Amino acid sequence: MMKEKLRRVIISGWTNFRRNSYVSFGTTGVMALVLILFLGMVAVNFLGSVMVSSLEAKVDVSVYFKAEASDDAIRMVKTDLESLNTVKSVQFVSREEALAQFKERHAQDALIQESLAELETNPLQASLNVKATDTGQYASIVSFLETHKQRTAIDKINYYENEAVIGRVQNISQSAQQWGLIVTLILAVIAVLVAFNTIRLTIYNQKSEIEIMRLVGGSNWYIRAPYLVEGSLYGIFAGVLALVVFYSGVASVSSKVALVMPGVSLIGYFVGNGIQIVLMALAAGIGLGVVSSLIAIRRFLKI
Amino acid sequence: MIELKNISSVYEDSFVALHEIDLHIAKGEFVSIVGPAGAGKSTLLRVLTREQKPTSGEVLIDGVNLAALSNDDIPLLRRKIGTIFQDFKLLTAKNAFENVSFALEVVGAPTSRIKEDVPKALEIVGLADKAANFPHQLSGGEKQRLAIARALIHRPRIILADEPTGNLDLVNSHDVIQLLQKINELGTTVVLVTHNREIVDALSRRVVTMEKGKIVRDQAENGKYII
Repeated sequence: MMKEKLRRVIISGWTNFRRNSYVSFGTTGVMALVLILFLGMVAVNFLGSVMVSSLEAKVDVSVYFKAEASDDAIRMVKTDLESLNTVKSVQFVSREEALAQFKERHAQDALIQESLAELETNPLQASLNVKATDTGQYASIVSFLETHKQRTAIDKINYYENEAVIGRVQNISQSAQQWGLIVTLILAVIAVLVAFNTIRLTIYNQKSEIEIMRLVGGSNWYIRAPYLVEGSLYGIFAGVLALVVFYSGVASVSSKVALVMPGVSLIGYFVGNGIQIVLMALAAGIGLGVVSSLIAIRRFLKI
Repeated sequence: MIELKNISSVYEDSFVALHEIDLHIAKGEFVSIVGPAGAGKSTLLRVLTREQKPTSGEVLIDGVNLAALSNDDIPLLRRKIGTIFQDFKLLTAKNAFENVSFALEVVGAPTSRIKEDVPKALEIVGLADKAANFPHQLSGGEKQRLAIARALIHRPRIILADEPTGNLDLVNSHDVIQLLQKINELGTTVVLVTHNREIVDALSRRVVTMEKGKIVRDQAENGKYII
């Protein structure tokens, strides 16, 4: 009995969708646009977070040690830093490595090479490059170092030189996240309203049909169910359409994005997360369709 | 079968549509309700299908008090009743077959019964060859015959017909009334609201005359259209 009813409801929903092909086409199109907008926001959020994290990756704090600092002292500072949970990584650069890196960086500059050759001692200092888990943590790491018992072995901490840059990156990353969230929410509300209104108009056209079904003795659920099926069909078709359009768009834009942001593969991200993206788009489409239908039909069922 | 006790219906603008109506209709009767426009005939039918609640009084159908029905019970009441309207009220998105089968689907009839009964009903009203046509592809008379097929398909105990011939010419009106008579002969109670003097006079059955929301005359047999 239930199976029979379910079958009838699905067939009836499908028939409505098919026979109203003109309206269905319009509604599906509007919903597909809404979903493309959603997917676009996912792409923008992804690129935004890649940008912010690449900026953050460039920020670090270097601790330079005095020439006479012992290896033990340096090792102790390193171990203590690593035990902090605000510290992501600590990299030790010895005086020799620093010199080698310096020479390599200035290999083309004959003057520098000559000056270095004339020096009898290595003028460079050993250092620790500290990366924090979060850009907001550098200040606390630096104050930890300031009070460390091996403070005397430390010559200087370049945080004070980088402070302004670190602050700026932190601001950018915070406001990018906040604004991203606000814009996403506003667009989502607009998108839902547009999709909802489109479905409401579609159902409004069938207002008298719904009233007749009530008069013939149809129960509310029996009348409502085919419209919910129809709503979810809009969602499924809109989801598929949006995914096709969006993925072809991403495929054509991806190489251009890689030019601006080297090492970033937009298509790679969306293919890698393909299953989640497809499920998300379909679920959003079906959810939007069903909920809009449910709300829209409610007011016609009161007779 | 149908019992109206002291029914009054007052609209929001204090227009009195029904005023202290008492009416009893027995099983198997064919009752015509006549009266000028605004007499309260259609309101009376809407009260019977619970499209409208009376302001006061009691309506009983098969002993069930309609005031006590919950929103979920209303469909069950309407399945006992077949309703025919002046404006047909067909489902425009469904074809003739589906319009009739819908009334069976809502009562949960099995597919085998639908496949058997719907063509029979269409045959009775003379639309066997138009099963696949949509309402806009049918003439006025055909639409009303289709509405009748829908009203009788689930074998209701009562048929309420609100001006079923109001939009039809003479020949089609005659066909529709003949169908209603046939249904009545099979034991269904028929309540017919009409303006049509010829039809009422030709029927020679019980006639209830209404005026300004009141029953002013109730001719139990051989009733005539008198206003």
